[in-house]
Amino acid sequence: MTMVRGLLAKRWVLVLIVLGVWIVLATAFSGVSTLELSTATDTPFTAWLRDLAASIRGNRTTSPAFIYFFNPIRLGVQGFIEPIRALISLPADGDIIPVLGWLGVVALIGYVVYATSNLRTSILSMALVMGCGVLGVWADSMDTLAMTLGAVFLSLLIGFPLGVWAGLNDRVMAFLRPGLDLAQILPTLVYLAPLALVFLIGVAAATIATLIYSIPICIRITAHAVRSLKAGPVEAAQSMGSTPWQLLTKVQLPMARQTLILGVNQTTLAALSFVVIAALIGAPGLGKPVIDALTIRNVGDGLTAGLAVVFLAVMLDRATTAAVLHSQSYVPATGAARIRRRIGLIGGAVATLIAMVLSRQLLWAAVFPKQLNFGDQISAFLSTVVKWFTSTFEFLTSGLNAAFTALLLNPLEKLLAGSPWYLTIIAITLVALILGGRKVAVLSAILMVGIVSMGLWNDTMITLSQVLLATVVVMLVGIVLGVIAGRSARAERLLKPILDAGQTLPAFVYLVPVLALFGPTRFAAIVCGVFYAAPVVVRVVADGVKGVPSDMVEAAVASGSTTTQVITKVQLPASKKSLLLGANQGLIFVLAVIVIGGLVGAGGLGYLVLVGQSKPELTGKGLAAGIAIVFLGIMLDRIAHASAQRTDRKSL
Amino acid sequence: MSAMMEAAEQDLSANAAISVRSLWKVFGPKADSVAGSPLADLSRADLLEQTGCVAAVRDVSFDVAPGEVFVVMGLSGSGKSTLVRCLTRLIEPTAGSVLVGGEDILTASPARLRELRRTRFSMVFQHFGLLPHRRVIDNIAYSLEVNGVKRDLRHKRANEVIELVGLHGYANHYPEQLSGGMQQRVGLARALAVDPEVMLLDEPFSALDPLIRRDMQNEVMRLHRDLGKTMVFITHDLAEALKLGDRIAIMRDGAVVQMGTPAEVVGNPADEYVADFVRDVPKSHVLTLAAIARIPKEGEALDGPRLEASTLIRDASPVIAEASGAVTVVAKGEVVGVVTSDDVLRVISGESTAARHESS
Repeated sequence: MTMVRGLLAKRWVLVLIVLGVWIVLATAFSGVSTLELSTATDTPFTAWLRDLAASIRGNRTTSPAFIYFFNPIRLGVQGFIEPIRALISLPADGDIIPVLGWLGVVALIGYVVYATSNLRTSILSMALVMGCGVLGVWADSMDTLAMTLGAVFLSLLIGFPLGVWAGLNDRVMAFLRPGLDLAQILPTLVYLAPLALVFLIGVAAATIATLIYSIPICIRITAHAVRSLKAGPVEAAQSMGSTPWQLLTKVQLPMARQTLILGVNQTTLAALSFVVIAALIGAPGLGKPVIDALTIRNVGDGLTAGLAVVFLAVMLDRATTAAVLHSQSYVPATGAARIRRRIGLIGGAVATLIAMVLSRQLLWAAVFPKQLNFGDQISAFLSTVVKWFTSTFEFLTSGLNAAFTALLLNPLEKLLAGSPWYLTIIAITLVALILGGRKVAVLSAILMVGIVSMGLWNDTMITLSQVLLATVVVMLVGIVLGVIAGRSARAERLLKPILDAGQTLPAFVYLVPVLALFGPTRFAAIVCGVFYAAPVVVRVVADGVKGVPSDMVEAAVASGSTTTQVITKVQLPASKKSLLLGANQGLIFVLAVIVIGGLVGAGGLGYLVLVGQSKPELTGKGLAAGIAIVFLGIMLDRIAHASAQRTDRKSL
Repeated sequence: MSAMMEAAEQDLSANAAISVRSLWKVFGPKADSVAGSPLADLSRADLLEQTGCVAAVRDVSFDVAPGEVFVVMGLSGSGKSTLVRCLTRLIEPTAGSVLVGGEDILTASPARLRELRRTRFSMVFQHFGLLPHRRVIDNIAYSLEVNGVKRDLRHKRANEVIELVGLHGYANHYPEQLSGGMQQRVGLARALAVDPEVMLLDEPFSALDPLIRRDMQNEVMRLHRDLGKTMVFITHDLAEALKLGDRIAIMRDGAVVQMGTPAEVVGNPADEYVADFVRDVPKSHVLTLAAIARIPKEGEALDGPRLEASTLIRDASPVIAEASGAVTVVAKGEVVGVVTSDDVLRVISGESTAARHESS
């Protein structure tokens, strides 16, 4: 143990030496060879990308790749999504309502949720959907819901069989794994532009982007569900002569039910959060007002739309988990309950049908009533509250912002972006070498040189400085809250709804209030990153601390440790693996949000991606920035991953 | 081996319910290259060192007669669980043969193997392996179900075995609603449902409380007496092995170190390892009078009470204690020797029969 500690200490000592030398040299050569480039300036690579994009745009109607591949996919996806929109959100030409008016939609949702879970969740769901109408965003909410449901259906259609197959077959898993891993580190923003390029801005591109995000999640959880089954029953079923198909349908899938439903749940929430972001490439629905709120700073409308997203998220989350996840039992309801439920189902079906018919016949049931629509008032009220809050606490928020920026953000940015590029590359490569080993160091160096040759070095370093700082903050928050939650069941219960909400909400939604509080600054992006990543890190750390064997803790207490000693000498070291995993996840989550932070003035790569989307002459720059983000993500992930693995090996 | 002996052995194994020959299971890279090569003679540790392979089952051969309870006993890691899984190819053996009713399991096609598993074999597992999402009755009927038996028929059969194992009234319960002992009764019932020729029991009672375990052992003995199934019973518990086994194979590091009746194993341990195992066994509970009967000394009359040589010493001791002189031991009507209370005391006091043979 002492030897391990010695080695570890040596690693940190080495890193500190590298940092020290780097800081000295960076100060000496400050401002030299920073490769700073104005947004509008193209490099040969970005110019080439711009021309490539232009030629793709020009060839959409002639190139065989479009005629036989991209266009049919686009039309197919569109043909699938549009009927769902026509049903609940998009009136046909000359009509004022879609096929179903609001009452019909509410009743249908209530009935489906009742059928899949229980009455309480059903009532909650109906209330939440009506809440969207009260917020004055009924049509947008229905668009988001339609897009989400369509994407979920397609995700499950593709992801579920693949996931089961990958769960049963190691070779399939090995084949899919690199793609799944990449999907996990790929920040959502980066594939919007390329998809919009080939599938045009609109419903199809938005849906396909959503699928790219949600299918890997579906595959991963489904495969895990099949893989993590208890071996005993599966072996027993084999010993009784089941065919592989019988084994799957009679044993593995029924036993995996809980985790499979969790997969549906996670896929649904992922799809919802992505549909909101996909407004950037033309997804209809609630994402649009949120983006408008961010760019023209209409806080009230943005928050109202954000609130509707929250309503939908809670509704979809409860509807996909409620009844099943509450009980770990396989025992179904008894006779009396079953009869009650059957009556409920039949009665509900009749009531739903009546509501659906009414919603096509009567105006009050078709169009969400004005008397119930408090959208304008709520929006105005939220604006006032935020304004009051911002002005009242300005000394605090702007002070915090200024202090953080001056003391931490600026120095770090100066070190990374404000010194010669080759010095930074050497320093980061050395750190990668010490933490992750030779292979990772070589990979990092190659990726960084690639970024330099694309002409995006300076922007990448600006993004990196924000990512690193946000990760440090996330880890501090995560460890403190994680240890508290891991040690006390009560604290965990208190934190759970907050963590659930944090993991359920699309990152986009809390950009609005944070922007209002801190203005369009890099600090705002960092705060968003922290909010977004903290729940995951807290969860991972808490699980790690909880996973420390209780006799280990008891032994420490019995030998007279104080609480602090138990935490620092037993629980944290023993859950080191979770801490490193948390750091890795934290990095990736933070990166995804910092990039979106480009919308709120964080600058860097995210900003380039976003302007690239809105200004044709900057398309090349935007696409290249996307590539740079991917490079940065891979580099950070590999370094974190490798250092976690090395630590793991040493402690064995 | 001469052709005649081989033929004799063939004949024997054709009559056996199960006949295992030179069975190997090697885990690791190039596992196929171990059996039949010089590597096969290496110890387990040396083999791991040289090839990175672990031999979980090493050159195991045995026959189980129809209706016999054959116990495989060993400590954890001795390869006994791997061995029993090799018998139905839940784990694919590396080399050797397993004949059931003269048919080699190891060359059976997947379809034929399933057929055999559905009808000829059944298995009981240490951790029960019940399907949590099915009622007791549907757990028991599972192998009939996968074999395409109609619902009415398979439920009828399942209800019969439910009665047989004392699960009356539990047909519609779910496994999680039952205690461990009851769950294993379901496991037993499930194994009996197809009326198999051979039952494989892999440490079926190790996860149960001692008292429940004793009940279940008696239950198995009763079922065996009533139904006469051939059983291969895996355990790490020597007392259980001695209680249930007609014959016992003791495994160590993947190989069988001794095979014989309980009396042979306890009375004549093959090596130090086995001797160490059986040291604390009360020998009078295992050995019969045959093991201690001796030629009468001068002046010892043969007019005392007569007892069968197959009587356990424990059961014979009241008679011997009552007798004024020596008790006469008979087998098949012939006198094979005498026993006095001194002889019995010597056994009970722990003096091993092996040691006594050496000194005399």
